[in-house]
Amino acid sequence: MSSPDQRGRFRRLRSAYRLISALISLHPKIFAVALAGGVSFAVATVASSLAIRWVIDNVIIIRFDEPPLAGGQLLIGLGLVIGIGLLRSVAVVVRRSFAGIFQWRSAETLSRSVAERYLRQPMSWFQGRSEGDLIARAGVDVEATVSVLAPIPFATGAVVLLVLSTSWLLWTDLPIGAVALVAGPSLLWANVRYQRRAEGHFTAAQEHLGDFSGAVHESLDGVNLVKAYGAEERETRRLGELAAMVRESRIAAIRLRATFEALLELVPALTNVCLVVVGAVRISSGDLSIGELTAAVFMFSLLVFPLRLIGYVLSDLPRSQAGWARITEILSDPIMADPKDRIGVAPDGWGVTAVGVTHTPGREGSGADMNPTLREVHLQVPSGEVLAVVGATGSGKTTLIEVLAGLRSHTGEIRVAEGPQAVVLQEAFLFAGTIRANLCLGEPYEDEQIWTALDWAAATEFVSELRKGLDTVVGERGVSLSGGQRQRVALARALLRRPVLLLADDVTSALDPSTEIAVLENLRVNLGSTTVVMVASRPSTILLADQVAFLRDGSLVEQGLHSDLMSRHRDYRAIVEAFETDRKHSGAAVTQRGRDE
Amino acid sequence: MSEPMGRFTAVNTISRGLKEAPILRQGLGVTWMFAAIGALGRVVVPILIQQSIDRGIIGVGQVDLTAILLFGAIAAVGLTVAATCQRIAILRLGSRSEKALFNLRVRLIGHIHRLSLADHNEQRRGSLTARVTSDIDTLTQFFSWGGLAWLLDGTLVLIIAAVMLSYNWVLALTAFFVAAPLVIVLRLVQKRLVVAYERARSHNADMTTSISEVVSGSRTIRAYGAEEYFTDLTRAAVHRRATTQIRANVISAFLFPSGEVFSVLTIAAVVSMGVWIGPAGGLTAGAVVGFVFLAYRFLEPVAQFTEVLDQTQTAVAGLRRVMAVLDMPIGPPEAEITRDLPDGVLDVICDGVTFAYPSRLEGRIESRLLDEAVIKDLNLVIPAGQHVALVGATGSGKTTVARLIARFADPTFGEIRIGGVPLHLVANDDLRVRVAVVSQEPFLFDDTVIANVRFARPEASDAEVWVVIGTLGLTEWAEGLSHGLQTVVGGRGEVMSAGERQLIALIRVGLINPGVLILDEATSSVDARSEVEISRALASLARGRTTVSIAHRLSTAARADRVLVLDHGVLVQDGTHSELAATPGPYRVLYEDWMRSTRSSSAEHLDTYGERGRAG
Repeated sequence: MSSPDQRGRFRRLRSAYRLISALISLHPKIFAVALAGGVSFAVATVASSLAIRWVIDNVIIIRFDEPPLAGGQLLIGLGLVIGIGLLRSVAVVVRRSFAGIFQWRSAETLSRSVAERYLRQPMSWFQGRSEGDLIARAGVDVEATVSVLAPIPFATGAVVLLVLSTSWLLWTDLPIGAVALVAGPSLLWANVRYQRRAEGHFTAAQEHLGDFSGAVHESLDGVNLVKAYGAEERETRRLGELAAMVRESRIAAIRLRATFEALLELVPALTNVCLVVVGAVRISSGDLSIGELTAAVFMFSLLVFPLRLIGYVLSDLPRSQAGWARITEILSDPIMADPKDRIGVAPDGWGVTAVGVTHTPGREGSGADMNPTLREVHLQVPSGEVLAVVGATGSGKTTLIEVLAGLRSHTGEIRVAEGPQAVVLQEAFLFAGTIRANLCLGEPYEDEQIWTALDWAAATEFVSELRKGLDTVVGERGVSLSGGQRQRVALARALLRRPVLLLADDVTSALDPSTEIAVLENLRVNLGSTTVVMVASRPSTILLADQVAFLRDGSLVEQGLHSDLMSRHRDYRAIVEAFETDRKHSGAAVTQRGRDE
Repeated sequence: MSEPMGRFTAVNTISRGLKEAPILRQGLGVTWMFAAIGALGRVVVPILIQQSIDRGIIGVGQVDLTAILLFGAIAAVGLTVAATCQRIAILRLGSRSEKALFNLRVRLIGHIHRLSLADHNEQRRGSLTARVTSDIDTLTQFFSWGGLAWLLDGTLVLIIAAVMLSYNWVLALTAFFVAAPLVIVLRLVQKRLVVAYERARSHNADMTTSISEVVSGSRTIRAYGAEEYFTDLTRAAVHRRATTQIRANVISAFLFPSGEVFSVLTIAAVVSMGVWIGPAGGLTAGAVVGFVFLAYRFLEPVAQFTEVLDQTQTAVAGLRRVMAVLDMPIGPPEAEITRDLPDGVLDVICDGVTFAYPSRLEGRIESRLLDEAVIKDLNLVIPAGQHVALVGATGSGKTTVARLIARFADPTFGEIRIGGVPLHLVANDDLRVRVAVVSQEPFLFDDTVIANVRFARPEASDAEVWVVIGTLGLTEWAEGLSHGLQTVVGGRGEVMSAGERQLIALIRVGLINPGVLILDEATSSVDARSEVEISRALASLARGRTTVSIAHRLSTAARADRVLVLDHGVLVQDGTHSELAATPGPYRVLYEDWMRSTRSSSAEHLDTYGERGRAG
């Protein structure tokens, strides 16, 4: 009967085998070349110690025993040493190059597969998943998974080397071989044990460093506050305590490493001392030559590094397996139905029709459905009309826009006019690239079209003032632009497509009043035939609309004229007049003047 | 101003680093001694073999076992001592460098916190964080591996060379001569390797960006049906990363073999030379065999050493970046002799204040200063207790004026006085209590509500906090929180609504008793209920205090006692809201735009509503 511990170990080994063979099947040929390099290296290593032995026995010892110099023997010896050395070098180059190719091509395949999966899954799939976690799976986790690959050819070679050298030593001389047979595996065992234990310390140190970095980031993020309250010293002290945790866990790791490094020097050296002593006895009895003894010592020193590497691979396996599990989780998740496919074509004359549309958040099939955020909404927007969506925070405005855009799942029926569609989302997301690339997103638009769209979005002025104009690179997420500028670029991106249907979530919230007016004016003039559904949070946006849809707690209260809604619903009035209320504080005389114009 | 970085040489940087971190220097000699003894361990086995061959093993049946055992015992003892010393050396060096880096880290954090806010802009924040975390970590890496290598390998090369020379100087010189070109080859390979890794790193960053955009921009990508385009982009980024990594890998594949080739050549040369000289020159078989081993051991540290040189370069670069931060002048420094502020409400006077960001002035001639200045010759008297609103477009300088009054930076020219005391003569502790800044997009730490409130005054009791909450009329709100004041607000306060975050910030200010209140208004609006609570709390805070509001909404300006309009750093209008709104000028333009954008309907609708309102 095997103990549970052994069974667990067996299971781990089997899953490690599965992981490695799955990865090898991605690029089997490259792996084969790397492996051949690894094995040739092992063979050449054994051969090189044999060559040294030959030179010692047949050139050096003879020369010092019987003075005349044997030129021929010397040449053969040199040829052997140099030739095998070169062979060994070539094997290393082949092994390392192809191991690298294998590792990084596998990483490429995995990263690409995961990223493509992200691009194929609909938005609803992303709900409840953290962005950072998903990014890690395509990046850090892939790296962890493939990190075990590069050393495999070497490790395989090392195993071959171990077997070859031990059998050679045993064959040359039993006692000498026995010493090696005891020392080799125990060195390997010490390696694995050390790596496992060190792993704990390094993980702890890494976690403390993560905490510390997070805290530094937060503290510098809030530096205004820290300075406003003169809390510089207090913050430094607090962060210092976290830094001290990093220091302590690192010192613990160093203590372990110091012992291990010393042992790693000591054990092979002591083994060599044993070999010399045992060897001397064997030479004395005539069972061993000086060359054989020296070669044994030489070979043993060559084993130290490969043994270390096998230990490394074994201890690194769990990390790879964890990464692999996280990757396969993504790859084996079936592609969810795209809500876009459930959106039909509206009859002629209608821009959008929605009948009994309901949206329930929560991941589909997860069972834990929450309350619907959109309930039985009916909408009808004639072609070319503008519908403003109004409601308090949390009333379902954004959800409505995203459901209509096919970004969120729905029940009920949605039909939209056929033709190009554009969506302006609440967060104006810009990609790290040029302004042009952000506008075109891979479509071939002429400069003229681009500038027209920028014009409508009131973005021409600031874009043309940028040093490289359209070819200016905006930083990741567009950090080099202000919020209002980002929003205008995102709006231009939508207008560039001359959409038949424009869905917009609060287009002008980050614009100052003058710019807002200019943009809305442009929309009114240039989007004559476009059906527009837009979230409105300012009266000026509402005034642009033909009709208003008023939402309350996810339900449509009424779709109708602004004036009707104003007279019928007290809470509608309250929302619209939030700004109005502000204005009342500001002096009647000027109010009158403002109204006249 | 700091010296241009280029003038620091590596040696200067390192010696400055040692000066900044004295722990590193303490006991360095002792550590080196331990390292040297540890390194001696590496030559024990070759010497043992040489001695055994020459003095113990004479031939078959002629082995002096006593001598061999004696040699073996000496070797074993020597090796154990060496290993112990090596352990001590690693431990000493490692823990000392951790301690030194910890001190450096804390000093750096303290310094960064004290930098002027002008040095804390969005772009710099990331790199300042990197100084404290990753740059210092490069140093850690260096000290725990590279530093040891300097001590150990450097010593080792010297020791082995000495042993070789003592055996036979001709053979030793032969070995050195043949091995020398290795250093050049390694340097060449490593230089290319550094470049290749640098490229791989940058492509790796591109790949991460690309993937993170696929995730965080997924909504936009789907909204525009741009999946294909981004599939291509990502594929290309992933491919480039793999290709550059492979290139670096292939170059590094040549590193180890070049050492190997030179070892083989050295061994061949030593053997040939040894055999050629023969016993005539006093050479022994043991010495030649010993040389074969020593040649390997000699080249090992040489190869490692060249690798360490690159690590050293990286570390020196990291150290240099750290030093450059330590060299940045800290924010407004505290005066040596400070003056107390008078009690009560304080007035604010700006006297010819001009401000330009120091970083933008670098290398520019003085005459251009006015072009670069964000505040130009501001003269202003704000009487105690007045409520002033600063108005202007983005970049007009209104935020800068407020920051100067809070002394987050000192004016380039001119002077600001509060309560009659020049700002730079006010003690920092005094200033932070008497001049309070409330951002309406406030920063909250990922902690409880009460911890965030106590940030203003850590020693404040629960009762004091509740008194402030009561004064601001927020008792009901605070009691309604899911876990009361123990509610955790999440990173940057994300669990709270925008309005609640502002309320927490207001309670925070309420905990101190400022004479001047600076309000940075939020750009976005909050829900109606919070709005009411915020304005009530604000009104209670501002009562009887000099208040400077950075007004993004004109309704705020309309409520102030006085409006100051800034345009490109120049004060262009100064008066009450009704005066300015009635006078042609920039304020009037702003005001009219605002009126138009907030008008909810035509007059007709308003009237309808008005009638109904009255009727109802």
